[in-house]
Formats: sequence, structure tokens, C-alpha cells
Amino acid sequence: MKKIMIDPVTRLEGHGKIAIFLNDDGSVANVYFQVPELRGFEKFAEGRPAEDMPQITQRICGVCPEAHHMASTKTLDALFHVEPTSAARKLRELLYNAFYVTDHATHFYILAGPDFIMGPDAPPAERNILGVIAKVGLELGGAVIKARHDNHWVIQTIGGRPIHPCFGLPGGVSKAINEEERTKIEEIAKSSVEFGKLSLKVFDDIVLKNKDYLDMVLSDTFTHRTYSMGLVDENNKVNFYDGKVRVVDPEGKEFVKYAPQDYVKHLAEHVEPWTYLKFPYLKKVGWKGFVDGKDSGVYRATPLSRLNAADGMTTPLAQEEYEEMYSTLGGKPAHYTLATHWARLIELLHAAERMVELVQDPEITSTDIRNIPTATPDEGVGIVEAPRGTLTHHYITDERGIIKKCNLIVGTTNNYAAFYMSVKKAAEDLIKPGKEITEGLLNRIEMAWRPYDLCLACATHSLPGQLPLEVTIYDAEGNEVKKLSQGI
Amino acid sequence: MKILVLGIGNPILSDDGAGIRVAQEVGNQLHDPQVTVAETSEAGLRLLDSIVGYDKVIIIDAVQTEKGQAGQIYHMGPEDFSFAKHFSSPHQINLVTALELGNALDLAMPQKITIFAVEAKDITTFSEKCTTEVEQAIPKLVKMVMEELVG
Repeated sequence: MKKIMIDPVTRLEGHGKIAIFLNDDGSVANVYFQVPELRGFEKFAEGRPAEDMPQITQRICGVCPEAHHMASTKTLDALFHVEPTSAARKLRELLYNAFYVTDHATHFYILAGPDFIMGPDAPPAERNILGVIAKVGLELGGAVIKARHDNHWVIQTIGGRPIHPCFGLPGGVSKAINEEERTKIEEIAKSSVEFGKLSLKVFDDIVLKNKDYLDMVLSDTFTHRTYSMGLVDENNKVNFYDGKVRVVDPEGKEFVKYAPQDYVKHLAEHVEPWTYLKFPYLKKVGWKGFVDGKDSGVYRATPLSRLNAADGMTTPLAQEEYEEMYSTLGGKPAHYTLATHWARLIELLHAAERMVELVQDPEITSTDIRNIPTATPDEGVGIVEAPRGTLTHHYITDERGIIKKCNLIVGTTNNYAAFYMSVKKAAEDLIKPGKEITEGLLNRIEMAWRPYDLCLACATHSLPGQLPLEVTIYDAEGNEVKKLSQGI
Repeated sequence: MKILVLGIGNPILSDDGAGIRVAQEVGNQLHDPQVTVAETSEAGLRLLDSIVGYDKVIIIDAVQTEKGQAGQIYHMGPEDFSFAKHFSSPHQINLVTALELGNALDLAMPQKITIFAVEAKDITTFSEKCTTEVEQAIPKLVKMVMEELVG
């Protein structure tokens, strides 16, 4: 095999790259993965008032600003040693669940849907949202757009602005909602529950009732037995907004449950010479390489991991679906990467049900929305479940609340090691000596990483508006054999 | 006629904030109730949410092309991005697909979309300032947007 070292300085051109190297016989020799490095956020944040962080950090990511805003706001609670009022906490959680409905709907219908609805071998020109709508009908397409539009209205109404909320403050939120707004949010929440049920029915009809697809979901090519991470409430049930981080081992046994401020005791980051990426792993298990199993510190923090790490859902319809999923998948925890799509839809339904609970709470229109902080700020950690994984913010300030140090573990990064393993395994299983490398084959490799909903931060919003990612396959001489690009 | 001037970008990521800077300056100079000036860091489907209901939309953004020179200005229509639909993964949604989706769903889509873009030099360093080359292009872009609004 010809050894090719990839120099990150010369290889990186502003987009993610996956390079697959083949042996002389055409089998896979190795896989590399790189993303662009954003520079200087810590320096950028230093010297700024901590109260600005919910506004600043939500600009880091073009995909999930609401998650950063919420994690940052919770970090300010911890930093200023103040608890939000009960009503403020509920308003935050209500907005956050509306965000989950929009984000999960987008992923399933726009990103994942085409694989299953159109099929992995469909021509690329048809394998997109327009093809999906042509096949499933305008009615469902309209329902997707409506669910997103309505829940963006909820985010804007509670958060004060579309896309970038400005309501999170240490000790609470900046505005209450009135009865008229509450009534409209209740309608949207109930309609979102119906949308969640409809989406699970679509999944059932199209994926689960298709033996080929179900076999693919359950196949070894798309399976990794790793630890699972997710935020849980006091009863070990899934909670996106608050709680402790629970990690279960590949057999489903609780490995650790930690409070946000203890994250440094449990996570460490591994560095490889061929990429800027840092790969988080469980410190007490240790880094053993890109391998599965109980002895490897690799963990996943995805929708499926969150369900694996919890004992169930707090809402009735989502709980039913949760039980159905594990029953179909042969028990809990489940390690089938493609089942992440299923878990995502169960989370969507849960988020909608939770919205109904919160918006029907008599306290939701209370104007008691802020506890004014009085303690001297020093250090704080805040954690939420971002749709793409556990999101941790950590700030240290001086006594005036000026940032001296900040550290973020962004949702996507939790899954970098598993993402890499998934791409490598799919490539090794699907690219075989003498077998033609077709579009359909490459798409199946893409399907191995699509469930992670990888987010490359800033790059995702730039025109023409796609996540820039490139897969190149090289032969044993280092010649390019095939290239697949998106958004480049 | 309802007109939207939409700056796209990330205001804390060097040249990526150019579109937003231009939109803000246009907003300062303009006092026309028919024109809404907005900014966003979003694309794709969320971009569709932003532009529905307007008759005319002017988008300003930063781009990086293969052979472009930092500060170079482009004046384009959505059709200039159509290559992306055919040469990229079908699983993302780009501007053209978003517009087609809006039409397919019979949403109130703009009759005209104009895109002004500036070639970025640095979009990976956190900073509220653009590079010198892009900074110099901003007043020119503002003038072009103002002329487009009159025209």
C-alpha cells in the first residue's frame, strides 16, 4: 500500500473531507476524516461580559443557535449562583422543545428521508426533498413546512426574535407570554403532536414494513457497540433541557451519572496527527483507539444514545413508541446506527407532547420570570441536550463577570470518533475487490454517517447553503478513483 | 410591493459577516416602509421561511469560489447556483431547491431574487472585523444594493 500523509494545512480548504484509501486489491486500507478548524473563539470571548455569551455563542453554529443560547443561559445561572424562577424555567423548556420539533423534522424529511423514501439507489436528481414530496404527496410536504413554520413562531414569540433568541438571562428570562400567545402555542403544540404521530407512521410504512430496509437497519455494517450518553431527569427519563448526564455501557448498565460541573472528571479528548479534530472519550475507560466495546472509551450522544441512556420517556405516546422500538430492535440498548432516525422521530413526538404539558401549566403565563442575581460570579457549567448531542458550556470569570476562560464541548464533537468508525466500517464492508464503486454504494456509505447529522459549524449557512463535505477514494498509487461532493 | 433586503452570514466570523454589515448599512441609509431589512445566519429551508411573502428579495452574502480574489463582487440570480443541485449530495437543501420546494408547495414566492456576494478571504477566525479587502468592498456593495432598490 502506498502511504499518503495528509497535511492538514494544505489539505483543508474550508470544508469537511473524508479520504478513503484502497489497497492494491481494491479493498479499503484506511479512512481519514477532516473538518475545517475555526480559530480563536476562546480569545474572542475573553474580556467580554458573561451576559453577552448567550448572544455570542449562538452565532457559532448556523444550525442550532437555540441550543447554544440555552446552554449558555444555564451556564450563567450557575456562574451567578442563581436559580431561574419556576415560570422562567418552564418558558425556557417550552421554547427548547419547539426547537426540537423543527430541528428533528428538518433532519428526517430533508436529510434522512430521501434515503428511505426514494431508496439508496434512486438517481441523485430524484433523491432529494422534491423527490420525496413527489412520492409522498404535497399534503405531507405542506405538513412539514407548517410544523417548522409554526414552531419557529413559537420560538420567536417566547424568545423575542426569530432564529436567534434574546430572552435568556441569569436567573430567568426577559419576557413573559400572555394568554392570547399561550392559546396559539397550545394549538401549535397539539398540532405538532399529530405531526409527530404522522411522522412515525410514515417511518413505519416506509422503513419498518420494508424487509430490505429493516435488514439494512439491523445489519452489522451499520452497527457499533459503544457507550451511550444522554441527559436524564431525577427518574432517569429523557430530558432535553435539564438534569444529569447519564452514560450507560454497551450492555445498558449505568456507567456514570454526573452533574454538569463534573464533566471534566469524566471526559477527555484524544488527538490524532492527521486531523484537527479532537475526539472526546470517557476518561475512566480510556482511549483504546477507534474500536467498539466496553473497554473502549468511545461513546455516542445521538437521539438513539439518549434513549439508550434513559429508562424511558415522560410522555405517554413517546413512551409507547419507545417500547415498540426496543421491542422491534431486540432489546435495549440498541446499537444500530440507522435506528437513530427512528429514535429522532420518537424524540420529536416527545418534544411536542412536552410542549402541550408545559403550555397547559397554569404557571406558564406568570410574570414572575426573573430572580435577580446577587452573588459574585466565578465559574459555571451548563449542559443541555442539543439535537446532535450533549452540549456543554463552561465559563470562568473575574468578580465583575468578565470572561477569563471559556470551554465548549459542542454536540457534534461527542460523536466524532463513532462517526469516523461508522464511515470506516461501511467503507470496508461495502467496497470490495472487483466490485464497481457506484453512486448507490457511495450513498450507502453516506447513510452510515447521516444519522449523526454532522454539523460543521459556520460552514452550513454559506451560499449555496449546504454542508460542504467531500469524499474521495484513492487507489493504492494515490490516484483519485471516485469523488463525491456535497455543497462544494 | 414588499421588498426584503437580507444579509446572510455570521457577524463574528471575520469576512462571513460581510453580508450582514452591508444589510445593516443599507438599513441605516434607507427609510422606506415597503422595504424590510433583515439579517440571518441561516440557509436552506430556513431561508425559505424568511423570503416567503415578499415580492422582491435582495440577498447579500460572502462566498468562496475556486479562483476568486478577496473582495471581488458578484451580482447573481438564483440560477447561478443551480450547479449545486446537480453536482452535490441530494440530501442537503440549497437555495435553488428551497425555491423549487416553495413553488411546489404553492407558497407566496418572490417574483425576483437578486444576490450580491463578495469573495471572502477568512471565514474561520472569530472576529467582528472583516479583512481589509472585504472591508473595502462593503461601501461598493451598499451602493449596488441601493441602486438595485431604485431599479
